[in-house]
Amino acid sequence: MMTLCVVAAGIGLAWLALILGALVYKGLSGVSLAVFTEMTPPPGDAGGLLNAIYGSVVMTIIAVIVGTPIGVLAGTYMAEYGRFSKLTTIVRFINDILLSAPSIIIGLFVYELMVRPMGHFSAIAGAVALAILVIPVVVRTTEDMLNLVPNALREAGTAIGAPRWVVIKSVAYRAALSGIVTGILLAIARISGETAPLLFTALNNQFWSSNLNAPMASLPVTIFQFALSPYEEWQQLAWTGALIITLTVLGLSIFARSLTGRREDR
Amino acid sequence: MKPMLSTELNTPEAVVDKAKIEVKNLNFYYGQSKALKDISLSLPERSVTAFIGPSGCGKSTLLRVFNRIYELYPKQSAEGQVLLDGHNILDRSQDLNLLRTKIGMVFQKPTPFPMSIYENIAFGVRLYEKISKSEMDGRVEQALKRAALWTEVKDKLNASGLSLSGGQQQRLCIARTVAVKPEVILLDEPASALDPLSTAKIEELIDELQADYTIVIVTHNMQQAARVSRQTAFMYLGELVEFDRTEKIFTSPREKRTQDYITGRFG
Repeated sequence: MMTLCVVAAGIGLAWLALILGALVYKGLSGVSLAVFTEMTPPPGDAGGLLNAIYGSVVMTIIAVIVGTPIGVLAGTYMAEYGRFSKLTTIVRFINDILLSAPSIIIGLFVYELMVRPMGHFSAIAGAVALAILVIPVVVRTTEDMLNLVPNALREAGTAIGAPRWVVIKSVAYRAALSGIVTGILLAIARISGETAPLLFTALNNQFWSSNLNAPMASLPVTIFQFALSPYEEWQQLAWTGALIITLTVLGLSIFARSLTGRREDR
Repeated sequence: MKPMLSTELNTPEAVVDKAKIEVKNLNFYYGQSKALKDISLSLPERSVTAFIGPSGCGKSTLLRVFNRIYELYPKQSAEGQVLLDGHNILDRSQDLNLLRTKIGMVFQKPTPFPMSIYENIAFGVRLYEKISKSEMDGRVEQALKRAALWTEVKDKLNASGLSLSGGQQQRLCIARTVAVKPEVILLDEPASALDPLSTAKIEELIDELQADYTIVIVTHNMQQAARVSRQTAFMYLGELVEFDRTEKIFTSPREKRTQDYITGRFG
């Protein structure tokens, strides 16, 4: 039995190692200063990924700025104000569905909601699609983390004469802070690799664009396009882009893990 | 025979002090089930009153009515009167936050806030008072001295409250409660999670605090009730069975049920 488990664990880890190995092997050779300073090239030319990296960073930041407050406040309602209400049960159920909804559905939804009425693809539509992906993750972790705060602590805050919102802000949030931040980091990790919701919303852009009302490049979509192309330079850039995303997500996960770890030490 | 529960009968004869809290015909419900049955008693000012009784007898419930902390949870309700200095705190118009600054509470498990030792104490003070940094320093020092914790923590006021030992954390909670200058302090089994040495310190502290505060303590430990309190209420199944001077309860109780409980025949 134990042998089987070890073998199964080994197989799982082996795939991860192979994927990381292939990424590093194929991607690392393409990493150069040009990747971070030059635009995506036309076929057959050398170039970089600057506009794609910029687009990913911008849309991720907007998505987090939009999605995090909504997620944290909704989670706060569920764990604090509405802990015993029926609405909470309903919201939790819907949120769980949203959490596992295929991201391409979110992309299509935002396409109908924003791209069609506006008449064109835009970075802001891409950011909204990503924000919709951020919300359920943040709602879930915020609620879970606040539920872990012992009631005795809330009672103590209340017993000293603090109004409800002060107890939440100064006691419950503080006790749950590292967990909530971890949730936000995990949400960032999730959206930074999403391709499907961006295909229908931000589309892509060969050129530098900082206009939020126009199509914008992003790393995942660029990888998708370049990897499918027959041009060797593009394929190389796709590998490099994949490596950059993977390392970013890995870094975020490790950082999130270290935050939770520190919390357990206390 | 059911005990008579008139207010006069439940005022210990020897205690002539002014009543700080008067409970009149108090009933308490968890949903449909009745947890306190027609409780009436009066707690004298600046002395320690202990509530004893077996688990589930309603002693903690009664304590939690005094600062209306039970209202954090739905389906808990109280009816009757609880008079603090003659004013009914169960009245709807009662400002709850104001009530809780007058009636402080310390819980069974130490509950330091996730912040520094200094901030733990300043937190409550800052809620209702605007005072300068130096005044605040004074308040913090005074509160910590009052709770016999100052010498142990004066060099690490910025350390987390969670870094203290259990006994120290509990004294920090007492300091935090004292710092907002309440009139009444409610103690819900404050020493049951502590070692004997810390328990002794807390009991000493209670003895000192009664000079300035009206103290109500719920305890499982009968020796503790005998040691720290001036009057003791014995409760059983949501009823107040007997309320009298502590010596009287422990030496010549009027009721058989009290006698049985203090001699360890049940509970």
